[in-house]
Amino acid sequence: MTASSPSGNETHARSGLRVPHRRGRGLKAVALGVVAALALAACGTRPSESAAAGDTSKPIVVGISLPLTGDFAQPGSEAKRGYEVWRDMVNAKGGVLGRKVELKITDDASNQDTVVADYTKLITQDKVDLLLGTFSSLLNYAASAVAEKNGMVFVEPAGGAPNMFERNFKYLFFAQQATAPHQADVFVDWIKSLPEADRPKTAAYPTQDDPFAKPVIESMQKQLEALGVQTVYSEVYPADATNFQTIASNLAAKKPDLVAQGAVFEDGVGLVRSLKQLNFSPKVLFQTSAPSNAGQYSDAVGLDNTEGVFYTVSWNEKATTPLNADFVAAYKKAYNADPAEDAADAFASAQVLQTATEKVGSIDQDKIRDWLHANTVDTILGPLSWEATGEPKGQFLLAQWQSGKVEVVAPSDVATSTTVVNPKPAWK
Amino acid sequence: MSRLRSLPRAHLIAGLCLVLLLLYPVVNPWQPYPQGVMLLAFLLAIQASSWNIISGYAGYISLGHSMFLGLGSYTVGVLAVRFGVNPLWVAPLGGITAVVIAVLIGSVVLRTRGHAFVIITIAMLLAAQIFAVNLKSITQGSDGITLELPFWDRDFQNIPFYYVYLILMVLTVLFSAWIRRTKFGTGLVAIREDEGKAASIGVNTTRFKIVAYAASSFFIGMAGGVYAYYLTFINPVGSFAILGSVTIVLATLTGGRGTLYGPVIGAFIVQLVSEGATVYGGGSNARVLVFGLALMLVVLFLPKGILPTIEAWWRRRHPEKVEYTDQAGALSRVPVTATERVRAEIAAVNEKDEVAPGEILLDVRGVSKRFGGLTAVDNADLTVRKGSITALIGPNGSGKTTLFNLISGGMAADSGEIWFDGRRIDGMRPWRRGHLGLGRTYQVTRLFKEMTVQENVVAPLPDSRWRTMFSDAVRGHEAARARELLDIVGLGRFANQPAGALSYGQQKLVELAQVLMLEPKLILLDEPAGGVNPSLLGQLTEVIRELNRSGVTFLIVEHNIPLVLDLCDPVVVFSHGAPIAEGPPERIRTDPLVLDAYLGDDWRPADGDEGTGDPADDRADDRADTTTREAVQ
Amino acid sequence: MTHLVQAIALGLLIGGVYALMASGLTLIFGVMRIINIAQGAFLILVAMLTWWLWHETGIDPILASVVTTPLMFGFGWVAYRLLLSRIRGSSASMSVLLTFGFALVIEGILNITAGNKFKSATPSYFEESFRVGGVSLPKAQVFGFLAAMAVLAVLYFVLTRTWTGRAIRAATQNPSGAALVGVGAASTAALAFAIGTATTGVGGSILSVLYPFFPASHYDWISRLLGIVVLGGMGSLPGALIGAGILGLAETLTATYGSLNWSTLVFYIVIMVVLLFRPQGLFGAKLREDTV
Repeated sequence: MTASSPSGNETHARSGLRVPHRRGRGLKAVALGVVAALALAACGTRPSESAAAGDTSKPIVVGISLPLTGDFAQPGSEAKRGYEVWRDMVNAKGGVLGRKVELKITDDASNQDTVVADYTKLITQDKVDLLLGTFSSLLNYAASAVAEKNGMVFVEPAGGAPNMFERNFKYLFFAQQATAPHQADVFVDWIKSLPEADRPKTAAYPTQDDPFAKPVIESMQKQLEALGVQTVYSEVYPADATNFQTIASNLAAKKPDLVAQGAVFEDGVGLVRSLKQLNFSPKVLFQTSAPSNAGQYSDAVGLDNTEGVFYTVSWNEKATTPLNADFVAAYKKAYNADPAEDAADAFASAQVLQTATEKVGSIDQDKIRDWLHANTVDTILGPLSWEATGEPKGQFLLAQWQSGKVEVVAPSDVATSTTVVNPKPAWK
Repeated sequence: MSRLRSLPRAHLIAGLCLVLLLLYPVVNPWQPYPQGVMLLAFLLAIQASSWNIISGYAGYISLGHSMFLGLGSYTVGVLAVRFGVNPLWVAPLGGITAVVIAVLIGSVVLRTRGHAFVIITIAMLLAAQIFAVNLKSITQGSDGITLELPFWDRDFQNIPFYYVYLILMVLTVLFSAWIRRTKFGTGLVAIREDEGKAASIGVNTTRFKIVAYAASSFFIGMAGGVYAYYLTFINPVGSFAILGSVTIVLATLTGGRGTLYGPVIGAFIVQLVSEGATVYGGGSNARVLVFGLALMLVVLFLPKGILPTIEAWWRRRHPEKVEYTDQAGALSRVPVTATERVRAEIAAVNEKDEVAPGEILLDVRGVSKRFGGLTAVDNADLTVRKGSITALIGPNGSGKTTLFNLISGGMAADSGEIWFDGRRIDGMRPWRRGHLGLGRTYQVTRLFKEMTVQENVVAPLPDSRWRTMFSDAVRGHEAARARELLDIVGLGRFANQPAGALSYGQQKLVELAQVLMLEPKLILLDEPAGGVNPSLLGQLTEVIRELNRSGVTFLIVEHNIPLVLDLCDPVVVFSHGAPIAEGPPERIRTDPLVLDAYLGDDWRPADGDEGTGDPADDRADDRADTTTREAVQ
Repeated sequence: MTHLVQAIALGLLIGGVYALMASGLTLIFGVMRIINIAQGAFLILVAMLTWWLWHETGIDPILASVVTTPLMFGFGWVAYRLLLSRIRGSSASMSVLLTFGFALVIEGILNITAGNKFKSATPSYFEESFRVGGVSLPKAQVFGFLAAMAVLAVLYFVLTRTWTGRAIRAATQNPSGAALVGVGAASTAALAFAIGTATTGVGGSILSVLYPFFPASHYDWISRLLGIVVLGGMGSLPGALIGAGILGLAETLTATYGSLNWSTLVFYIVIMVVLLFRPQGLFGAKLREDTV
């Protein structure tokens, strides 16, 4: 080729243009492709118009993005089951507003980017009629913002971290009884109910640095200190802490009556094992959510060692709330397993949305929002109602392991057992 | 010349794509979802293009680059919450935080060569997460920071983000292109290709690497600030996720590491495929597996990436005609004016010296170097007088190349002093010595094979000024000078060829031109005649004489004794790590000590390889094998 | 005082286990100049395997290393032949990326097969401790430490007393010199990689008892191990031992006297400080790194 002189821009450009057809073909193909893509996509309405009243003969489509893979795959898959059980139960009874319910569930891979893209797509592209929330605060923060921007009611089965509700979102509703700082209230009430002499005198508060565990323990510590229980140990450990010997030996040295641990799961097991190694058994042992993983927990610490362990929980299989028995039966039938709390929470979220939609008589998002702010909904978790921020106003259940089983011991109206094991027996 | 033609073609296509991307939201405004997918592709492209600066150009792999996204997010998030400013307005501060952290980490880790960097990058990502969790008063710990919703009408929800990221992406690519055009960029590629060699031609490798690391962090940090606003929520786990780094690496590798558009293309591919997998893939728990497999497959089967592979395929289909004739007569074609100008420049440099002609320019005093039990250089003294062509001869393994390494700074001496041009240099880093006017060539050429011949010659830096570092390497004074130097050694025609394509003899000449770029006062030539065909040899000596006449001093290690006796005065004879004789060639020729040293136990053919017993030469030996093989082909 | 003794004892016990885990990594680096990012994933793979063996058959997890070690030796050999040998001669960064990809693949496979749950093997002695004075030493920790020391002793013996081991060490110190005396670089490399991988057989089995783990735990482990290796000097076995001891102690002492939250960070801080003043690590040979 002659265009070898590298002297400046013009030569470059010309030498480039001198091979017209080959380059031209490439460019044309690219241009054509993009124009075609543009043309294909060039349709649609403004996002603000998307809440138009749908065709009433079609099913109601509920859009959900769940972490079916990745870090939160465990709760995400349970939530999926909870939602599906709800769909089948509702459709068996003729659906909502006379229309069948259809779920459109996508996987966000526990990834914030994806959850945002998913909900954006569900709302603006797929034009779903209703939304339900996803799992874990991490994802619900981002997802609820998308819903809020688009004026869609967002009922979330998880995401009780307190600053979730500092944003004053109008379309956000948390479908559990209480946010993290209030989950231990029911346990504090139980201690208050004890005669002064029987109350623990000293307490230790190890907690994982987890947005759900830590606020529970911090708030409990504050309330118990007000009650005169002396704090002898308080420590926040990181989520990836694997070695609990140090905590256990530091803690045991103080010989507290009460050990209240903000435990997600493996850390709860780890501490129990380490305490057992040191042969230190506190009179009262409370752990936030670790003991709620029924089979896993008893396998890990040994069934005998579960005796007397307290925890708070949003739902229990035996609870006498309306529809709970039906839910448990349907779940067992469909999946041949015991339902997990996460599935029940998802089911309750769907119940909240269903009730509001039926009461309002349409899928008008603003009306649903207003109704939920003004009313109480009965769910399998019990009655739920909300502050203006979407924060719930209820109370958790206090559960205790008794003779290898879990019993609800407070509040009294939903309790499944009237006995409370106190003090906790020594390790076996 | 297809390289030149392919350049504007690539730019034209890129420009066209840019116009279409700019138009897209205008044509089709009410589609937040595809806009959302595209803007995430832009974000990934910003990160991949930035990563490419340190890990593509300079070859230092960072596996923790998503840290800068998190740092940007946190900077902006904290500022926005504390002072109530809109995150968009303070997003550039995210970039600044990223740069500050990069400089801090870089100045600890990048001072040495090798592998600590990649390790530290992973560690720092995890450490950043720990900091974010624990500095509660600033970051709100694991609760994370929530930000206000965007202020604009919800109809436009993703459009502003789309344009912000598009603009940032364009800026990043322009920035990357600019870097690649400067001597800074050439220096980075030199570091990737052969860091030791880069240091010897005046590239301040430490500074270059730190600046590259910082440069690779700025736009990511800024994008991170915008990202916080886009998500309206940041927390330690999400902001400092290692999977983010995986995507960056995968994107760049897929597109083409070290290329300009490769990372962008790779980013679009990775983002669109992974979005497609989310929408159509169902709930298979295989994302990590797929990413890992893709990474392995790319490394094993497409190590250069898509773009370079396509380019190579294109070049095979459209071969260019270049005559790889050897050097016979090349010098006769040298434009006289160029030679004159360069000679004048060199003369000017050498006139400024403190050392007058005939005085000692290089002074080696009692230097020793041991490798374990072997003493390679043993209390050696050596002086080189200004204006001379001094020869250093001696049997194989007598420590000549080791001495060169000690002088040029490739190795540190165990004891002794080295003085050059009135200054003690034995404690200086190699590039400082280069800046003082000390240049060297290698026994086995060490050109940067992935660079063009011209880039090879432009790469050296004669001084440590920032201005020189950021001067244009493609056009302007530096490039013109490089072409002149190439003309002097008669290789002007090959300026745009990859250096690896040249014959061995040609490479030796290019290496000489490279050293001349340093405006040297003293050039150390390590066996300049070895492997060069005889017809070229005369020309080579001619060039050396020419340069010497302009004032350049030479110290030459050579086994071709007739050449040495013809060219050099004085001649120093080395044996067992120290000089045993020195004098004019005619005296050395007859010195019994010398004859004994050469013909004694150690005697070997004069053109054999030196230094098999010398640990420092092991790598050079490996090179020698391959290069000789290439030369034969 | 007992507190301090307890912390030091625990730190040293943990350090011993770290030392074993890091020795494989440093061995592989020393011979091949490959940073095996997948070493952490190998550990988790073995831990998962051990857990499964223990869960199914009740075999003692630490004794299970008798099974897992030869298995991992073979695994390492095959991995080298199939994967790493293909990129011999290309730049070091390629091996980093390849092993990184390999780690992700293992994580992904474990995600699918074993699920994204924390696991931990709990043999009968798990909850018991030896009491020495006022200090209680958990049995699992002690057994793990002893197993680690035993394997390190075997490794030391192999490297110093057998021809194979000497070949590996020769290749570490001077590859072309070793080649001259008939040590084949390729087969030495495969062997070293296999031995380095085999150490994860024991390391992973011990891990399964001492720490809860799940597929993505390997990032934590690899950064910890890399930290030890950088601290000790890359490629240096004694360096790995000392580095592991120092970091084990630093971690436990911070956890006891400072805050647990910062104890992981101590790792990285120690590493950065060491690199600041001794870029080559405690025992690293600077020779080759700085050679032109």
